[in-house]
Amino acid sequence: MVELYLRSPLGHRAGDLARLDAVEVAHLAQIGVRCAAPDATRVGLPAEPNSVAGGADRGVLWMGPDEWLVVGLPGSAPAIVGEFEAALAGTRHAVVDVSANRAVIELRGTSRHAMLASGCGLDLEPAGGWAPGRCAQTLFARAQVLLQEMESATRVFVRPSFANYVADRLLATRRE
Amino acid sequence: MSRRLAAGGAWLDRSRPVTFTFDGREVGGFAGDTVASALLGAGVIGGFRSPLAARPRGVMTAGVEEPNAFVEIAEPWFEPILPATTVAVVDGMRTVSRAGVGVLPREAVTARPAATTHCHVDVLVIGAGAAGRAAAAGASGRVLLVDEHHVVDGAPDGVTTLAGTTATGIYDDGYVVLYQREPDLDRIWHVRAREVVLAAGAHERPIAFAGNDLPSVMLAGAAREYLDRYGVLVGERVVVFTTNHAGTDVGIALADVGAHVTIVDAGDGGPAAERALEAGLEVHLGAVVTRAQGDGRIEAVTIRTADGDTRTLEADLIAVSGGFNPTAQLARSIGAGLVYIEDRACFVPDGTGPSWLRVVGAAAGEVPTSHPMWVVAEGDDAEKYVEPQRDQTVADVTAAVGMGLSSSEHVKRATSIGTTIDQGRTSGVITAEIVNALLGWSPGTQGPTTARPPYTPVPFSALAGLETGPLLTDPIRTTAMHAWHAAAGALFEPVGQWLRAWYYPRGDEPKDDAVARECATLRRACGLFDASTLGKIDVCGPDAGVFLDRMYTNRMSTLAPGSIRYGLMLGLDGMIFDDGVAMRLGEDRYLVTTTTGGAAEVLDRFEEWLQTEWTDLRVYCTSVTEQWAVATLGGPRARDVLAAAGTDIDLANDAFGFMTLREGTAAGVPARVCRVSFTGELSYEVHVDARLGLHVWEALMSAGQGFGITPYGTEAMHVLRAEKGYAIVGQDTDGTVTPEDLGMGWIVNTGKGDFIGKRSLVRSDTLRPGRKQLVGLLPDDPSLHLREGTQVVATADLPAPPVPMLGHVTSSYRSPALGRSFALAMLADGRALHGSTVHAVVGGATAPCRVAEPVFVDREGARRDG
Repeated sequence: MVELYLRSPLGHRAGDLARLDAVEVAHLAQIGVRCAAPDATRVGLPAEPNSVAGGADRGVLWMGPDEWLVVGLPGSAPAIVGEFEAALAGTRHAVVDVSANRAVIELRGTSRHAMLASGCGLDLEPAGGWAPGRCAQTLFARAQVLLQEMESATRVFVRPSFANYVADRLLATRRE
Repeated sequence: MSRRLAAGGAWLDRSRPVTFTFDGREVGGFAGDTVASALLGAGVIGGFRSPLAARPRGVMTAGVEEPNAFVEIAEPWFEPILPATTVAVVDGMRTVSRAGVGVLPREAVTARPAATTHCHVDVLVIGAGAAGRAAAAGASGRVLLVDEHHVVDGAPDGVTTLAGTTATGIYDDGYVVLYQREPDLDRIWHVRAREVVLAAGAHERPIAFAGNDLPSVMLAGAAREYLDRYGVLVGERVVVFTTNHAGTDVGIALADVGAHVTIVDAGDGGPAAERALEAGLEVHLGAVVTRAQGDGRIEAVTIRTADGDTRTLEADLIAVSGGFNPTAQLARSIGAGLVYIEDRACFVPDGTGPSWLRVVGAAAGEVPTSHPMWVVAEGDDAEKYVEPQRDQTVADVTAAVGMGLSSSEHVKRATSIGTTIDQGRTSGVITAEIVNALLGWSPGTQGPTTARPPYTPVPFSALAGLETGPLLTDPIRTTAMHAWHAAAGALFEPVGQWLRAWYYPRGDEPKDDAVARECATLRRACGLFDASTLGKIDVCGPDAGVFLDRMYTNRMSTLAPGSIRYGLMLGLDGMIFDDGVAMRLGEDRYLVTTTTGGAAEVLDRFEEWLQTEWTDLRVYCTSVTEQWAVATLGGPRARDVLAAAGTDIDLANDAFGFMTLREGTAAGVPARVCRVSFTGELSYEVHVDARLGLHVWEALMSAGQGFGITPYGTEAMHVLRAEKGYAIVGQDTDGTVTPEDLGMGWIVNTGKGDFIGKRSLVRSDTLRPGRKQLVGLLPDDPSLHLREGTQVVATADLPAPPVPMLGHVTSSYRSPALGRSFALAMLADGRALHGSTVHAVVGGATAPCRVAEPVFVDREGARRDG
């Protein structure tokens, strides 16, 4: 029922995103987890900076020394929250459902890194260490984004209020 | 007369003729030409003017060091002023000569499209001459080789090469900005390199002699470039005036293709002079050019030979080589010093500077040995041009030193030498050496002034890159309900980066009417407001209450779960910094709201204190501003509307009171409903997952139809809250206002322990009488709408300036509820003035206003408490 009412931030931009060989991945579960590193290791959160653990159904993105973002399938947020609340009970921690806090654009074209390089100062080439399984918080032009490199795709997580801006800025690279 | 040879010109594509215009005249050339090479090829000698004295000038160089020949590109894109020696011609281009100063047109112009690319490499090599190519070939990993010329010959394999690309600046940690000119696109490259190799070569130096600014006095190397690269023989009777073998070799090359060449070498000639003699050239050693003569171009050259004889030669070109200046500007701007090398009469990088920067080749000083000569002694100093782009001569430098100046930096400022488009590439060393000589110092005692990035001019359009049009400004942030507001005809106002619905005019309804209607509807029936932009922070952990007690002036730890409390945050100076409410969601969890503009700053402040001062507190903060959409339903019928939209929450006043919250459903979706009020009316803030924001908004609007609901915007909200005397942080406060100044001393709990700003509340200045205090202001003329910012004084008659000021108006509106205008103001000792009359300065006159308590509607709060 509730699912019927959900509106994703870029639902109206599907055509524009298609021109970029991109899609919006709507309504993913996104759970912010904060805890101390030893507790994180105990509950299976990745310790390596800017790495992603997990597979297609659930990825855990390292966001900072005590911060992770768990990304799961649509509808799985309550289960993920429950799971981490249980696992971290009794420790200093915060588990927050932030599923609506970021829109997710998945860039699928081969020129996706060049598009991002028009506005992102990170080294997005394999020679620089960027490969599937990496993630990074950075800027794309004037918007904060979280990048996640996957097999044959790059996900761009962005605050919904900036999503149109990021889509427009990506489209601008098509003017070149 | 064409000076283009039938063959030759390595950089030309003779199969692709191009035509462009120069000052309205059609000029033919070939793809690969610069404007300068095409003009010279077409026999245009001169064609330019100096900026101050309007003296005839011609192309002097073949590159970025050009001081004479500047053009505006008028079509197909616009660029106000560039060296003609660096502009690649394209068919149909329209150019206009410019005398050292660009002219911006009144009409909008077409800029070149531009783009930006970030790039990471192991080695960046700047300059693709022999030294640069060798460095690139020897480098490993990701190697980028760039050159400002439009052609790069012989780039090594495995190396990414960019032609037409200038390194405009080298910055810390191997960050280099490149400006690339593609045929149809400008591009700025932001390169991060582990190692930077500067192989930018050297610029030939002119010599100051009488008449040296005449057209067809040219650098020798440039004459060679025009011959080799562009197939242009710039002179047929050539006098080469040189201090080094390179100049002589140019003479030999020009003679090879048929020019009549005389070598005038200020030095002893060496093997190059013997080669010249073998080639049948006339050679004068230990000789100098003392004067160039001609009407708008060289016709004759006077020389003084080693034995003191003076001779005059017929000539149409003087090719000058006064030695070479290694192109060290980019290294110097990142910290490398210069050292003088006597046998080459030049300044070279001294090896200092960052460890990741290496200077090689001519840029490092691998240039020909040179006889040290900067100025020819004979002749009138006022005819020896040092800086043709500023019409400055040896006499001007002498005058500056005569005024007592000795530093080349000071002489630059006194004469304007080097304040030029080329940043003194041809003039800098000569000026320094003239000063050295005048002061009796040895050559090289002081060097030229420091050049700074950008190395060559960069168009603003290139720097803007893709960020043009709507992308030029800050990103525009919109809420989940934005599309609804737009479809409803809302006008928007920017608040920080957010675009918020301002008011919703019906048809062509004027703003004042629309706002009055929205206010009246809310006080009479109900209204719906998009409050999604409020900052929201989830504060979680067993010490969350203790932490918030320290951040706010009042106590938050005693709040019961499910309750809400308003709070003020102060700066360390005791001044109001932000405000909002804290909602206790559970034993260990609060949600605090911030102002729209303050959200990021408040979170940063929370993190700063948690991470640096109170690391023992078990608290984590998470920004959830965009997780939650907020629709604020207010007005006497708000309860009915929410009930009609459907909710499982008991809305009865005794079950769900003011300043509490309930979790449940609204309009069929999970919602957190909060009873807070900024309008003084019964209000329900409905917080939902932002993806459900539009649904809930539409459902509430639909449910409210039978109750006369209106959407209302920020303007009506401002009026409504001002009627209640609620200050807006940042509008009624300005960083100099304490809680006591706002009349909110009640919210400061000094008994609860420490909190940010507490110490400053007992400073003598914070406690002194005469501080400005928030008051209400009612103009005697109820139709007078004071402007915000209006000054308020004590007397109706303005005394002579300076006029003592009581304070100023911070908010001012027309109130439908009051049927009149009203204002909030900050007045000195304002609370003591309640009931008295003060005067607002309106235009040149004053308007009487009564000072009132800043609460105009429902003082008891009965409506709000619903």
